[in-house]
Amino acid sequence: MAVPKNIAKLQVRVWDLPTRIYHWGQLILVAAALLLGFFGPEWWLDAHVYVGYAIIAFIVFRLIWGVWGPEYSRFSNFLFSPKAVIAHIKKLVSGRPSHFLGHNPLGSLMVFALILILALLSISGLTVLGGVENQGPLAGFASFSLGTLARIGHEFLAYLLVGMIVAHIFGVLFESYMSKTSLTRAMVDGRKPVTEDQRPATLYPVRKEGGMIIAFGVICVIGAVGALASTMPASGLIAMPVNESFQSECADCHQVYHPSLLPRESWVSLMGNLSDHFGEDASLGADTTNEIMSYLSRYAAQAWDTEAANFLSLVDEKHPFQITATPFWISRHANIPQEIFRTKPVNSKANCSACHKDAAGGMFADQNIQIAHGQN
Amino acid sequence: MKHKLLIGVIFLALASPAQAGPRETIMELLAAEAQVANSSYSGFSAAAGEALFLATFTTGKPETTSCTTCHTNSPSNVGETRAGKPIDPMATSVTPDRYTDQAKVDKWFRRNCNSVLGRECTAQEKGDFLTFMINQ
Ligand code: HEC
Ligand code: HEC
Ligand code: HEC
Repeated sequence: MAVPKNIAKLQVRVWDLPTRIYHWGQLILVAAALLLGFFGPEWWLDAHVYVGYAIIAFIVFRLIWGVWGPEYSRFSNFLFSPKAVIAHIKKLVSGRPSHFLGHNPLGSLMVFALILILALLSISGLTVLGGVENQGPLAGFASFSLGTLARIGHEFLAYLLVGMIVAHIFGVLFESYMSKTSLTRAMVDGRKPVTEDQRPATLYPVRKEGGMIIAFGVICVIGAVGALASTMPASGLIAMPVNESFQSECADCHQVYHPSLLPRESWVSLMGNLSDHFGEDASLGADTTNEIMSYLSRYAAQAWDTEAANFLSLVDEKHPFQITATPFWISRHANIPQEIFRTKPVNSKANCSACHKDAAGGMFADQNIQIAHGQN
Repeated sequence: MKHKLLIGVIFLALASPAQAGPRETIMELLAAEAQVANSSYSGFSAAAGEALFLATFTTGKPETTSCTTCHTNSPSNVGETRAGKPIDPMATSVTPDRYTDQAKVDKWFRRNCNSVLGRECTAQEKGDFLTFMINQ
C-alpha cells in the first residue's frame, strides 16, 4: 500500500455503522432509563423496565461485536496493559499525549467500565423487579430481602453511572481539544483523520454479517430464556384457596382486604374485636368468626414475601389492625393530597382498590397504581 | 320464654299456611316475639318504624348516630357504607329480595342497632321498622 504524501488529510473510517448506532442508541436508552428511574412516577415502572431490557440487548450486542466486529470495535484493539495505561497517563501529564485512532487507554477503560456498570445495573434491576415486585424473569428466584439489597446496589450504581457519564463527556471534550479532532463528530460519521504517529490498523478480515448473526441469535436466545423464566410462579406468592365466609362477610361494608396485608396477630385481634370495628358493630356468629380467623391467620403476611406483606406487617402498636395506620402506609401515601381520600370516588384511605387495580390479589404492583378521579 | 316463642311460631305457622314466604315467616316470628315480650302488644306500626329510621341517637357509637347515616333519609335511595360501598335501597318496592333471609336480618339488626342505639333493638322496634320498609 502506497503511503499518501499528505497523510494529515487522510480520513479513516474508524467507527463502523453498527458501533455508532450502538453508541447513540445506548445513550438515548441510558438517558431514558435514568430519567424514568429518578423522576418517573411509580406506575411508569414498565417503561423503565422495557428500556432496561433494550439496554441488556445492546450490551449483548456490544460484547459480541467486541469479539466478532470490525477492527476498531474489537476489544483486542483497545485492550491495553496496565503499563500502557500508566505510560499514557504519564505522557498526558507531561502535556504531550499520544493519540490513537481507536480508543486511547483511558477511553478504553471508560468503555469497559461503562459496559460493566450497565451490566451490573441490569442484573441488580432484574433482582429488584423479581424480589420486590415479584415480576420479571427473576421473580421465581429472588426473595424480598435480596430484592431490597439489590435496590440499594441499583440506586448506588445509578448515581455512579451519572458520575461516569460526566467523566466520559469531560474525557471526550479534553481528548478532542488535545488531538484537535472532534471525537463526537467521529462517532457520528465514523471518520477520523490519520496522523503520522498513529499505529496502522492490523485490518482483520471484516465479516460484519457473521458478528451480526451471532449477536442476533444470542439476543433471541437470552430473550426467550428471560420470557420463559418470567412465566415461573413468583417465589413470594403462595396459592390461597377462596374462603366463602371471608369473601362475603368481610365485603359487606368495604372491599375485602387481602390476608397478606396484616400479620397473624393483627388478624386475631381484629377478629376478636368485631363488635367494636372502626366505630361499628361488625360482629359475626362464633363459628363464622373462628372460621374466618383461622383462614386469615393461615394466609397472613407471614406466609407471603411481597413488598406489601413485608412492610405492612410492621404495624402501629396503637392501631394494631389498621393497615392505613402502619408507618409504611403513611409514608408511602404522604404525597397524596388528603382531599383525594375524603372525596368521591376514593372516599376513604381504606378504599385501596380505588387506586390499586390489583389490590384484591395483594400485589400492589407499581404499574397498577392509578389514582381514581371524579367523573367530572 | 324460648319454648313459649316456639309454640307461638308453630301456632302461627299452622294458622296461616297460605302465606308462608320467608319474609312473612320473619314478620310472624317477630310478632310472636313481641307478644311474648309485651302482653299489651297490638301489632306493628309503620309510623313508629319511620320514626326509628329517622331518629338520631346519642347512645350508640359516635360515627353512626342514625339509620340514615348509611341508608340515607329515604328508604328508596341507594345508601352508602362509611367506606363508600353502595347499599341497595331498604324499601322492598325497590329491592324486592330484602328481608327474606332470617340470618341476614338478624345479623344486621344486631349490628346496626348496636352501632346506632348502643343496644339490641326490641322485637317491636324491628317489626315496626320492617313494616315501614315493606309498606313503602
Ligand atoms: C359493618 C360493616 C363492616 C363489616 C361487616 C366489616 N368491616 Fe372492616 N371496616 C369497616 C369500617 C367502617 C372500616 C373503616 C373504613 C374507613 O376508614 O374508611 C373498616 C376497616 C377495616 C380495616 C382497616 C382498614 C384500614 O383503614 O386500614 C380492616 C383490616 C378491616 N376493616 C377488616 C375487616 C374484616 C376482616 C372483616 C370481616 C370479618 C370486616 N372488616 C368486616 C366496617 C366493616
Ligand atoms: C388515593 C389513592 C390510593 C389509595 C386509596 C391507596 N393507595 Fe396505596 N399507593 C397510592 C400511590 C399513588 C402509591 C405510590 C406512592 C409512591 O411511592 O409514589 C401507593 C403505594 C402503595 C404501596 C407501595 C407500592 C409499591 O410498589 O411501591 C402499597 C403497598 C400500597 N400503596 C398499599 C395500599 C393499601 C393497602 C391501601 C388501602 C388500605 C392503599 N394503598 C390505598 C395510592 C393509593
Ligand atoms: C354504618 C352503616 C349503617 C347504619 C348506620 C345502619 N345500617 Fe342497616 N345496613 C347496613 C349495611 C351495609 C347493610 C347490608 C347491606 C345490604 O343488605 O345491602 C345493612 C342492612 C340492614 C338490614 C338487612 C336488610 C336485609 O336485606 O335483610 C336491616 C334490617 C338494617 N340494615 C336495619 C338498620 C337499622 C334499623 C338501622 C338504624 C338503627 C341501620 N340499619 C343503620 C349499614 C348500616
